[in-house]
This record gives sequence, C-alpha cells and structure tokens, in this order.
Amino acid sequence: MDWSDVFGGAALIPLLNAAIRLAIPTGLAAVGESFCQKSGVLNLSVEGMMLTGALTAYLGAYYSGSLWVGVPAGIGGGLLVGVLMALFTLKFKTEQVINGIALVLLAQAATSFTFEELFGDLTLTGRFEPMKNWEIPGLSSIPGVGTVLFNQSPLVYLSVVLIFAIWYLLNRTMFGLAVKAVGDRPAAADAAGISVTRTRWVAILVSGAMSGLGGVVLVVGQLGMFMQNVTAGRGWVAIALVIFGRWKPLRVMAGALLFGLTDAIQLRIQAASGGIESNVPFELFQAMPYLVTIAVVVFASARARRSGEPEALGRPFFKGAQIEA
Amino acid sequence: MTGVRKSFGSVAALDGADFYLRHGEIHALLGENGAGKSTLMNILYGLELRDGGEILIDGHPVDFQTPQDAVAEGLGMVHQHFKLVPRLTVIENVILGGKDSRAFRLPDLETSARKLEDLAETYGLPISARDRVSNLSVGEQQRVEILRSLYFGARTLILDEPTASLTPLEVRQLLAKLRDLARAGTSIIIITHHLDEVMESADRVTVLRSGSNVGTLEASETSQLELARMMVGRDVGILTQSDAIRDQKVDQSVKDKNRPVLRLSGVDASSRVAETGKETVARRGLFDLSLEIHPGEIVAVAGVEGNGQAELEDVLSGFLEVDQGEFAIDGKDCTTCSPEDLLNLGAGYIPSDRYRRGLIGGLSVAVNVSYDRIGEAPVGNRFWVDSKELMRLGDRAVEEYSIAVRGAGELAGTLSGGNAQRVVIARALAKELRLLVAAQPTRGLDVGAIEFIWGLLEEQRSRGLATLLITTDLDEVMALSDRVYVMYRGRLSEVPRDRESIGLAMGGANKQGEESL
Amino acid sequence: MAVTGALVTGGILLVLVGANPVDAYVEMVKGTFGSWFDVSLVLTEMVPLVIIGLGLVIAFKARIWNIGAEGQFMFGALVGGAFALRVPLQNQFLAIPAVLLVGALAGALWGLLVAAARVRWRVNEVISSLLLNYVALFVFAYAVRKPLRDPGGFKPTSERVPDQFVLGDVPVDEIRVHVGIVVALLLVPLVGFLVNRSPFGMRATMFGMNPEAAQAAGVNASKMTLRIMMLSGALAGLAGIIQVLGSELRLSNNMSTGYGFTAIVVALIARLRPFGVLLAAAFLGALTLGGDVIQRTQQVPRVLTMVIQAIFVLFLLLADRRRSN
Repeated sequence: MDWSDVFGGAALIPLLNAAIRLAIPTGLAAVGESFCQKSGVLNLSVEGMMLTGALTAYLGAYYSGSLWVGVPAGIGGGLLVGVLMALFTLKFKTEQVINGIALVLLAQAATSFTFEELFGDLTLTGRFEPMKNWEIPGLSSIPGVGTVLFNQSPLVYLSVVLIFAIWYLLNRTMFGLAVKAVGDRPAAADAAGISVTRTRWVAILVSGAMSGLGGVVLVVGQLGMFMQNVTAGRGWVAIALVIFGRWKPLRVMAGALLFGLTDAIQLRIQAASGGIESNVPFELFQAMPYLVTIAVVVFASARARRSGEPEALGRPFFKGAQIEA
Repeated sequence: MTGVRKSFGSVAALDGADFYLRHGEIHALLGENGAGKSTLMNILYGLELRDGGEILIDGHPVDFQTPQDAVAEGLGMVHQHFKLVPRLTVIENVILGGKDSRAFRLPDLETSARKLEDLAETYGLPISARDRVSNLSVGEQQRVEILRSLYFGARTLILDEPTASLTPLEVRQLLAKLRDLARAGTSIIIITHHLDEVMESADRVTVLRSGSNVGTLEASETSQLELARMMVGRDVGILTQSDAIRDQKVDQSVKDKNRPVLRLSGVDASSRVAETGKETVARRGLFDLSLEIHPGEIVAVAGVEGNGQAELEDVLSGFLEVDQGEFAIDGKDCTTCSPEDLLNLGAGYIPSDRYRRGLIGGLSVAVNVSYDRIGEAPVGNRFWVDSKELMRLGDRAVEEYSIAVRGAGELAGTLSGGNAQRVVIARALAKELRLLVAAQPTRGLDVGAIEFIWGLLEEQRSRGLATLLITTDLDEVMALSDRVYVMYRGRLSEVPRDRESIGLAMGGANKQGEESL
Repeated sequence: MAVTGALVTGGILLVLVGANPVDAYVEMVKGTFGSWFDVSLVLTEMVPLVIIGLGLVIAFKARIWNIGAEGQFMFGALVGGAFALRVPLQNQFLAIPAVLLVGALAGALWGLLVAAARVRWRVNEVISSLLLNYVALFVFAYAVRKPLRDPGGFKPTSERVPDQFVLGDVPVDEIRVHVGIVVALLLVPLVGFLVNRSPFGMRATMFGMNPEAAQAAGVNASKMTLRIMMLSGALAGLAGIIQVLGSELRLSNNMSTGYGFTAIVVALIARLRPFGVLLAAAFLGALTLGGDVIQRTQQVPRVLTMVIQAIFVLFLLLADRRRSN
C-alpha cells in the first residue's frame, strides 16, 4: 500500500478536513455530557442517546425526503432517551451507573428492532445523499486553512456554534452557576432556593439533545444511512473525553478533535490498504481511536488532580437528608 | 412560635414547643443533641414543615413553605455546616440565592460585588467579594454567610452552632459582632449548647428538652449550673466536676516513659490523599510533627477544624502516606503502612466520620462488630467465615456496649449516632490493642453516650492502653487527657494542660496573646 | 412484577408490529422447551451466560462495574484458540486443562488492564472496560483475517481446532450439550461459596458497600480491585475458550452474539446471587432462542428479545427501589 495516500502532502488537507468532520458527532455528545456531569449526574446513556438520535434522524430524513427534517427528529430521539435517564436517575433514584448502561442496551436493541422491522434487513437499505458542504464565501478560499475549516457541512457549523453556546451557558449565565453549585454542593444550592432536581433534569436533557444531534451529524451529515450500532462506541468515547477535558467544554472539544484525527487516519489506512487480502493490519488501526481515547484518559488522570470534577458526581440528592459530604 | 409540633416517623422531635423573640435581642436556644433546637429553627426558616402549631411575625401569622418565603419576610439563617460552594467566588455564592433569575445572563457581578463590599464595610465584616470560597478560613466563610443574609435584607438572623469550628479568639470576635448587630436593631437567635457563650452574649435564653421548652430566662438572672440542669433534667457529673479533680487522677496513672508506643518525629505529609473510593479532597499538609505516647496515657491533640487534625487522623489510620520523618509503632516503621498494616500492628481506630469510615450500613450489626477480623480466628479462618460465631460475638457486643437494637442481625444503617459509635468502639476494642486512635469520639452525641464512651476510654487507660485523642472539644480534652498538644496550621505543639493555654494555642497565640508563627 | 412488566411491554411491541403476542409467546415456549433438542440448545446457550454472569456477580458485588466482559470473552477465545491451533499437545487430558487455563489467563489479563488503570490512574472502569471491548474485537478480527486464517476458507475464520482439544458432549441420552455445561454447573456453587461464605467474598461485599470503611478495616483497595477484575475477566475468558472448543470449533468474528452484554443482564436479574445466575441464564438463554423461533414463525425480528431484556432490567431497578422504600 502507498502510505503517501495517508500522510502525503496532497492528502493532508483532506485529512484535516475529515478530522474535524469526524470529531463533531463525538464532540457534541462529549460537550453535552460535560455539562450534564457538571450538574452531578454521571450519565452513561450517551451511546444510547446518540444511537437513538441517529435512527430518528435517519427516519425523519428518509420519510420526509428532506435532510433538514432529520435534525429536529434526531434531537428528539436523543431527548427521548434523556427523559428516560432523568426519570430513572432523578425521579426513581435508581443506581445511575446501571440505568445508564441499561438504557444503552435498550437503545441498541430498540433501534435495531425498529430498523429491521421497517426495512426488513440490517444491511444497507435506503441510502441517501448526505448533506452537501457549504463553502463559506471568501473564507473557504484561504489556502489550506480555508479548505479545512470552511468547507464543511452546515451541520458542522451549527455544531460549533452550539458547543460555544454550551460553554457560554455554563460559564457566563446564572443557570451555569446553578449547574455548578448543584454538581458540587447540592445541599447548598437547595438552601439557596435552586431546585436540584429541576437543574439536573435540564442538564440531562441538554446532554440528550447534544448527543441526539451527534447522531444527526453522523447519519444525515456524513453517512446517509443507518445500520446496527452505527455509533460504534462514540458515546463511550465521549464520556472518556469529558475526563480528558477536565469537565471544561472547550477542552473536551479539543479531545474530540484528537479522536477525529485518529479516526480520519485509520479510515485512510483502511481505504488505502486494499481490502480483505491486504497485508496491512488495518484492524489494528481501526482499534486506534479507542486506544488513543484510553491513553488520553490515562494521561489526563495520571497527570492532573481532577480539579474540574464535580464533588457530588454520581450521587443522588435527597432533599432534607442530614448527612452531607 | 407557639405549640409547634413535628414528628419524624413515630419519633416526636417537637412536642408543643414555644418560642418568643423580641426585636433587637440576642436569644440563645439551648438544649442537648436531639432536644429539637435545630428542628424548631428549620421550621421557622421554612426548611421543614410543621405538623402543628402557629408562627406569628409581628403579630401576623406566617406559613413558610420554603426558605425563600422566610427570606422574603426578613429572616436569614447561618447553618452549622455552611451552605457555600467552595469552587465559586464569594459574590457568586451570594447571588446564587437571589431572586434575580435571568437564567441566561450573568447579573452584573460588578454592581453586586460593590453592594456586598459596602455592606461588609457598614457592619465591620470585611470580605473580598472576588475570592474563591475554597480559599477562605472557616471564620471568613461564616462572615460570608452572615453577609449573604444581610444582603437579602435579613432583620432576624438564626445562627446554628455558630462557634462550633471557631477558635476561642474568633468566638469572642463573633460574639462581639453579633452584639453590634443586635444594637443596630437585628434580632438574633443562637442555637448552641455552650453555656459560657450563652452567658457571655445572650439577652435571654430558652431551654428545650425532648421537644418542648423547659423555660425562658433572662441571661443576667441565671447561672451556667442552672441552665445545665434545665438542659439534662438532672445533675450531671461531667459538667460539675472541676478540672482540678481530674488533674489528681492524671498523676495516679502509671506510665512507662522509656518505651513509647507511638512515635512521630519530624513528620511531613502532603495533600496527596491515598485512594479513598472516588473521593479526593484537596487538603493542606502536616509539617514537622513530633509526638510520643506511652502505655497507659491518653494524649489529646486539640485544635480547630481545618488545621490538620483530619490529616493527622489519616496518617495514623493509614489513609495518608507520610512524606518524610519517622512514624513508628512499638519501634516498627510505619511510614508506608496501609490501614491493614496498622491494624496488624495493634493500632485501633475510631474514625471521626463514623458513618463513612466506621460502619457499613448495609450489613448487620453483628458483621459490623467483627468485620475487621474476617478471615481470622475466631470468625472462621482464611477460607471460611463462621457466621454462627459472628452472630454470637455480635450479640455479646450488643449486650456489653448496651447497643439499642432488637438483635445483632439488624442492619447497622438504622442506628442512631450514639449506637453507631458504640458499634465502632466495640469493634476497635475487641482486638488486642497497643494503641488507640480516637478521632472526635463523642462528636454530636448526647450526654449519656458521652459519659459511656469517656468511661470506656478511661478504663482502657487503666489497663495500659496508649490512646491518641484527636478532638475539637475542650471539655473532652480536659476530662480525659494526661498531656495535651495543639494543632495549628498543620503544626503541633505541646501546651500546658489548662483551658487558657489550650484555647490560646488553638487560635495560634501563645500565653502573652501574641500571634505566633 | 418485573417479569410481567417486561413481557407485557414485549407483547405491546408484538402487537405494534402486527403479530399476535399470545401466539408468539406460545411459540417461544414451544420452541425452547418443546423437545429435548430445543432444551439442548437452551443449555448450550446458557454455558457462556452462566460462566460470564458468575464473574460479573463477583465484580458487581464489589461495585466494580465491569462491562468489558465481551472483550474479555473474545480475548480468551482468541488466545485460547490460538493455543489450540498452534501448540501440538496430543494428550487430551493435558490439552484441555491447559487450553482452558490459557483462555482464562487471557481473559484475566484483559481484566487486569482495566483494574490497573483504575488503581494506578483512577480511570473509571466502566469506560476503560467498554473501550477495551472494541480493541479486543479488532485484534480478533485481524487475527482471523491474517495469522490464524484458514487458507481454504472463504470467510475470515480460523481452521477447525484439533480433535484432542474439542469438548465432547455430556454422556446423557437425548441431551446434546458439550461438557462446558458441567464446568458451568460446577462453578455455580464454587462462586456461591466464594461470594457468600469466604472471607474474600465478605470483604468484596464490604468494599462494594462502603469502600472507605472497608479500607479502614484492613481491606486493601488496590489488591481487591486487581483480584476482582482478574477473576471476573478470567471467567469471561474461560467462557470464551469453552465456546470455541465446545460450540464453534473454530474462531470466527461472529462467535459472540453479545454474550458479554447479555451476561450483565443475567447478573442483574440474578440480583447478584450466584444460584440466581443459573435461573437468569436459563431464562435469557430461552429468550434468545425464542427470538430465533419467532423470527422464523412470526416474522418478528429476533432482536425483540434484546429489547425485552433491557426493559426487564429497568423494571427490575424500579422493583428494587420499591422494596428498599
């Protein structure tokens, strides 16, 4: 195989362009998750949120014939799982870790079931053309940078705006202040008249919407199709990136870009390797994004005190309980 | 407030309690733990709902569903455990409670901060609005709490155990400030069980016992002794016995000066914390600690919260590793000991947080009494747990330590503070010990349990056990200790065994009243 | 209550896709317990579920959320399978214990990675164990595509394992199940004793309920985490190699139908009781095969049964909460 197809000068710009594109779905989910964890909820259902969003986005786009219908549909799918997560975590107060995992299993089964029932097969039925890129006039003609940054799907631009919006919400608003207070000292927030439960509801739903949109970008913006477990663990990667980014939305997004780059490289290698009889161990490169994710989490955890970690992460809040850490 | 009633399950916390507050007075609400002081004030502040009774403010009835209702009526409350978010700044903490709910915009921090600092100036409670709360001392945090109430227009302040974690000096300053506030027209309620503070600051005192009031007195017309009797309903040995009597007892104890059981020399320990589940709390360090304990003596380490007692406790229980210096038990090096190693060396441990570190609520009392001996005789062997023997030992402990349960099979999670602590101590003393590290062994317990536990510790001393008593309670220091050290800003110094010296050292001052480094 | 809830929800789904739920459930029962042949299939399906499930019970008791059993299973199968294919042991009585040991050790190693990351760098085990699943799957895929590939085969699978490594059927008339079932049945009381009656199990329970108190009582958190993850991984690895030697007879990418995840459901349904694992595995084994039946007879996607499983867990969480109140 020809390695210059992967790393050569001509390949570099498309590679970086792809890295951004591939980083977005995971990045959206990860930033949403960082917001959610800031409120003290360890939401492990991200993979389920993304997957459900991916399916509903596909269905919306497929049946309406309009890619844009897929956007609200996908967000709605993520929100649906978010509502379940919030009900179990906040209303029924069951073990967050378990109901998160259970919701992922449910979403994996339910999306496959729905898809197979509707299309009779889990293979590639009903492909459509994914959303076209928008070249931002002027900016996209800047050599190099322009092609990398400003020749992307409109969903990518939307996502970037939303990621900054989450950062703003967390760091520049009263609501963000409330989220941080609820995640660190729920009893103190409660005493100040902030509803812990309501704040966490919103935070979980934000995570659901962002993850759902991640599914949208994947299906409507990139693949133009749905298949069983199409998200392939991106939701779990997203949770890992939250730790890497120390719960800071922009740093989390930077982690997602690293993931996107590894993913872009491995896809190139796979494409250049020449298929099933190739001597290139492309499967090992396929494992690379996951290995890199594990590595950066280890790196982040080993190096830094977890300064950004919410103190009450994963702990349910019982109003009026006397014991508090 | 008249005839206020409140029950938790079948237990009546308040049974027709009355309370009357005048404008501009300091009114102490006195009572033992569980007398209902906090419950009564929580009801007044809208934190808990009452089952019956009436609350009138300036003659008109009120019915607060939430603290915000109470704040709107000019009430403010400073809780014993401050309701502050350490990660946020002072001003962020203050506006957190505001009604200003423009959720998507941060209100003008500048204006709010200026308003707060003006207020601080007016009341002589200086504070910097931009500091992170995590960087403030306990006293400063309390100031933030008081200012927050005033910021929202409080005319009546409720302070729950305001002096619990202050140095004697800070206590005096606080009480003086409160008198200033009262003179300026603010009404103040202090919940406390410290008689001397009541006498020093309050205009009137209301005493509660078992959920109803015993009486309301003018502070100037009563005495500490009378109040103590009203609180407990009988004469209490530990409160009337003078320090001098105990001084004699100390001299009788047999000591072996040559063989220290515990020896610390030049110990430093930094804020790194050994893995304790998923919790990590940034902690300050310990510097150059030296200390020896011999068989048959109780050595107290007194101090105010946040000065290193917790870290010392962690070092001596194996949760925090020593960075440098010498730490030995019976001459054996323990600088890298795990909790397991320390147990094997015969070091018993009564943790300050008994629920977190001393009990497993989901397991039976019987298991809790013996769980540090799982895998060894008599509770079976390496391969097998003898559950019959476990039950037998549990039943015996329940009887010996008068643990109030139906049987040793009951879950430990249901135990009240005093009974929980009896289980913890029963487990620690079941082993053959060389050293006992007792951290805040009676914190939050009622007088009966305190007497029982003090008795146990004295009995162990007479049997030759070496005990390190880590406590913030001066009464406890005076009642039990043979020698006293004080911990201040991570450093340890031995001080004479009298209240004044200890009190001054806890605040970082020596006898001449100078601030020492 | 949870059973009814899950089955009713499943029934509603059946109605939605236009099948008669009563017929479907009857078919499922007939198709799984109707003949000795069907019972044999259920028993065969139970083997990996019981063995992995027992390992998860041990981990979950200590509140170590190992959701990487799938990867541990595949890695055990891969390394054990490679041993069988490449190491020319002739004596059956030597070969089988040796290969089982190798498979278990491989699984233990995969589990050890998770434990080491948690102990050394405080990396959340949920994330690391899940991400390692993908790594194991890709390594497996590479191995059967290249180094262990059956040159004569069309699909990327290994050759058949040599006869002396193959697990025979139990010598009982009518029932055709490989002796892996015997291993599974023996492990149940063994793990039962370990969890309920041994000092190790007691300490693991203490550690799970209150890690700090357990440490104060002399439980070494690091050692405990390492041992438990290795044990849990070893059982999953053992299940993997048994699946190869008893059922598949060769290494192939689709040898697991998600046993590692179904086993999570098994452990939770069993309420972390080793003997409960047996019943739960029987139930889920039957459910899985029932899925095949209704796919054949009712044209309902078999993945419906996975939906039912996930819903079952959620209902169970609700039921447990009711009980604890």
